[in-house]
Amino acid sequence: MTDGGETGKRPGTMSPEQAVLILKRESRVRSGTVPHAIAGVAVGPRQSWLAGDEFLLRPDECLAFHYARGQGITVARGDGADAIAENLWLNGSVYAAMAAINGFLPFHASAVAWDGRAVAFTGPGGAGKSTLIAALGARGFPMFCDDTLVLDIGGEGAPMAMPGHKRLKLTPAALALTGAARQEEVGAQTGKFYAEPPGGDWQVPLPLGALIFLEEGPDVSLRRISGHERFTRLQDDHYTANIFARARNHTPAEAFATWARLARAIPMLVFTRPRDEARFGEGVDAVAKALRDGLMNEGPAAASGWTSPVLGANGTDRAKE
Amino acid sequence: MTITKDGARFVETEIDDEVVLMDVESGTFFSLAGTSLAVWRLIDGSRGEGEIAAALAADYDAPVEQVAADVAAFLAELREAGLVTG
Repeated sequence: MTDGGETGKRPGTMSPEQAVLILKRESRVRSGTVPHAIAGVAVGPRQSWLAGDEFLLRPDECLAFHYARGQGITVARGDGADAIAENLWLNGSVYAAMAAINGFLPFHASAVAWDGRAVAFTGPGGAGKSTLIAALGARGFPMFCDDTLVLDIGGEGAPMAMPGHKRLKLTPAALALTGAARQEEVGAQTGKFYAEPPGGDWQVPLPLGALIFLEEGPDVSLRRISGHERFTRLQDDHYTANIFARARNHTPAEAFATWARLARAIPMLVFTRPRDEARFGEGVDAVAKALRDGLMNEGPAAASGWTSPVLGANGTDRAKE
Repeated sequence: MTITKDGARFVETEIDDEVVLMDVESGTFFSLAGTSLAVWRLIDGSRGEGEIAAALAADYDAPVEQVAADVAAFLAELREAGLVTG
């Protein structure tokens, strides 16, 4: 059995402008009543469910969100509902579910725009994604998105990245490191402030030029990755991989084909640097130089000569979990 | 005896110079690169173990005894993983 075709809900033939319009239309918000269940599944506080073209989320006893394709997002606010929490949930999980239901892939990444492409940095929470793009902004790279990268993967070739829908958020330490101008506080519990992107922000879709994984290590390095590592690292973002799989209702073989196509289409690197404030600038400079030098155009190295063949085992497909 | 891939058991895709396989039942991934990929490409249902080893020894200009031993061990791994029969 070989790669199967993707059996998505969308034909994948929309223009970038149409994709932007769909996201804008589908993310409109109104206040109203929210159902207690979708597809027969009751959703209580601190639970969510995605089924078909609907998503229901109750982050606590006071707030509830319902998204239905074609109808937008409905928010139900009870007594004591927190406006800051509402905004964070709306731009986070609810937006990601809405995007996935409409055939987009939401990815946990922050990105800058460079040379007609979006260059995205990904890693778990606290990996330094926002801090890095703010610092790159100060070196002339406009912010493309912060925290969530939404990809239109319907077409051939490089996925089209949609411009960000979230404002840049930084901790006080990151503000100090990057020199970004501090704006209002996000919310006491986040410990973050909104910030003015030092290099401005990009407003139109761009093809995704590279995906760079952030890691901690003793020295600054940028390493291009190839083969199975591209495939397995792409699925590191478990939350979005799972929400996308649920929204698309893929079989494991279909999910495999989709991730494989993406792995082939997106150049990937690992950026390793020490989490040491004194060496922060060294790492940012290395990334800025690599981008300016065209790191995204390098090819993988070839091997030769007889060595004992090995069967590499690389874990388990996320779609099976 | 010819070696045959169990095509119902896995899906495969090529990324750069590697082939990535996924067992559709267990979701386990496997990767093949370099000489392991060279062996994999010669498993077409028409060749036996000896023919695969001979072809690779010629391609790599390597001692046939060494290649034959390596190929035998690798095919045993593939059989163990359920990816090939024969």
